[in-house]
Amino acid sequence: MRQYALRRLAYMPLIVVVVSLITFFTLRLPFATDPVTLYVNQNTTQEQEDAIRADLGLDKPVLEQFVVWVGDLVRGDLGHTFRSNQPVWPEIQRRWPVNLEILVFSVFFSTVLGVTFGVITAVKQNSAADYGFRVFAVFGQSIPEFFLLILLIVLPSLWWNYSPPVGGHVSIFEDPVKNLRLYLPPTLLLGVGGAAALMRLTRSTLLEVFRQDYIRTARAKGLSGNKVILQHGLRNALIPIVTLTGAHVTALFFGSLILEQIFSINGLGQFFLVSAMTADFPVVQFLVFYTAVVVVTMNLLIDLSYAVIDPRVKYA
Amino acid sequence: MATQSVTAPQTFDWAHVPKRPGFARRMGRLARQHPAGVFGLVILLLFVFLGLFGKQIAPYPADELSVGLPLQGPSSAHPFGLNQNGQDVFSRVISGAHVSFVICFWAVFLGAGMGSFLGILGGYFGRWLDYLIQRSGEAFAAFPSLVLFLMLRTAFGPTLKTIIVAIAIGALFGGNRVLRGQTIIERNQVYVESARAVGCSEWRIFIRHVVPNVLPLVVVIMSGTAGAAILAESALAFLGLGPADVSWGRDMSGNNLSIARTGYWHVVVFPGIAISLVVLGANLLGDSLRDIWDPRLRK
Repeated sequence: MRQYALRRLAYMPLIVVVVSLITFFTLRLPFATDPVTLYVNQNTTQEQEDAIRADLGLDKPVLEQFVVWVGDLVRGDLGHTFRSNQPVWPEIQRRWPVNLEILVFSVFFSTVLGVTFGVITAVKQNSAADYGFRVFAVFGQSIPEFFLLILLIVLPSLWWNYSPPVGGHVSIFEDPVKNLRLYLPPTLLLGVGGAAALMRLTRSTLLEVFRQDYIRTARAKGLSGNKVILQHGLRNALIPIVTLTGAHVTALFFGSLILEQIFSINGLGQFFLVSAMTADFPVVQFLVFYTAVVVVTMNLLIDLSYAVIDPRVKYA
Repeated sequence: MATQSVTAPQTFDWAHVPKRPGFARRMGRLARQHPAGVFGLVILLLFVFLGLFGKQIAPYPADELSVGLPLQGPSSAHPFGLNQNGQDVFSRVISGAHVSFVICFWAVFLGAGMGSFLGILGGYFGRWLDYLIQRSGEAFAAFPSLVLFLMLRTAFGPTLKTIIVAIAIGALFGGNRVLRGQTIIERNQVYVESARAVGCSEWRIFIRHVVPNVLPLVVVIMSGTAGAAILAESALAFLGLGPADVSWGRDMSGNNLSIARTGYWHVVVFPGIAISLVVLGANLLGDSLRDIWDPRLRK
């Protein structure tokens, strides 16, 4: 186990480096968009253009640029944005709590709802509740998240002349009520798609587990129904559930941007979007690097959690 | 003894062995067992039809301004109402299927199709090929699809190709893991060993024996990809990153969304229903196909 964890730890930086390399060199391919063209017009002389290029650090050979970027990154200097020449780090620092909050709430809702409904439908297989929740799940997986969020804004205003607050992010520590009024309704809806997928997975895995002999044994030796379902059943169905929840965290990068867009919240997603449209290399490079680190770390944690959930899992 | 009834030995009438029901009969039976799948198939066929011919059959050109009173609600002349530019929402929904269809098509055949093939190839031949495919899959898994798209967009600009490549890469590595697993199971089946024993070459075993046995799963993966690709395309269009002016996602964003907040719900709700319905169709069809074909579910 320890050896496996160490090997994975050594492997992690490799993936991050490869991802960063791909990003860095793709952005600078000869036929890719040249950011300098965004800062010149027909009156710009060649000298001015060269000066801009040198200013952005794009005049050096690509390999040298990469070494400079990595060197700065290691020393904690993320460089300055092309667009406004602001240091990148404070811009990110300002925004990431927004994304963390959206992520935590949405994953919380999708996991709690998904697993609860999954257990209910598996235990009450073929009942009215089972059919009801399954229909809900099929629809939940088909309706785009942004459509749900739009309905959240449009329908209440149509029916009750009320619409949930939009914009005006405040920290949850400063004004929890205002913060939760802004974030709770949309994150609940953002969790619906994930909850639907998780519910279906929980249901099918649990039904498979319920057919096992040890469940019958547990019942036969007189354990209460709940104990059998939760301790013997759910615990053994947990591995795919954890895997899917991990995938939801990755997917929420998309959902978070959509939520930011509809509710006018300025988070990392917006920052990434604007930077991508203006070919702001330092920001794009760092955000890709950052995402890769988060995703790879999370995949490692998920793999290691398998051994905790199921003692039979051994990593040689 | 004279009354002894001789029971004639029961001869089996070979001439009257019940024949296997014809193709149409079998399909009809399958359809009755999976009504949701049939519903999904019908929706998808309609989607393909609109994707190909939507622009021709729409009552008004999608971008023609002022065909009626702007922001008029649904009426018999304009079943989905009009938007703030006086464009017919019904025509825009019908024409908007085109972009979704094109992207969905490439994602399914380029992404899911090629990904499945690579997965089968890696699962069957193993070794360095498998290693290479799996490791590159892991590297791409570290890019959430949107991040990958934004990175590609920064580099290559907002063209249709960029979107297709980004969505297809996501589909490529999604499908390949499932098929790799299934191929490894098939590879170790007795029929593969028998084929090898009779002297089949590896390629023959691969093409004639292994591939046909995992092919149903490819179709299941493809229908899943179709739904995911439409969702991804509409979300990108919604964010203003789409390649086309007439697109379901685009019609729900920007000015249309602001106007919808003031009570003109029909402007955004109908394109949303169109997306949901097509994705629902793809999901229902995928579920039914999985029920029919997935060997793990067949008991």
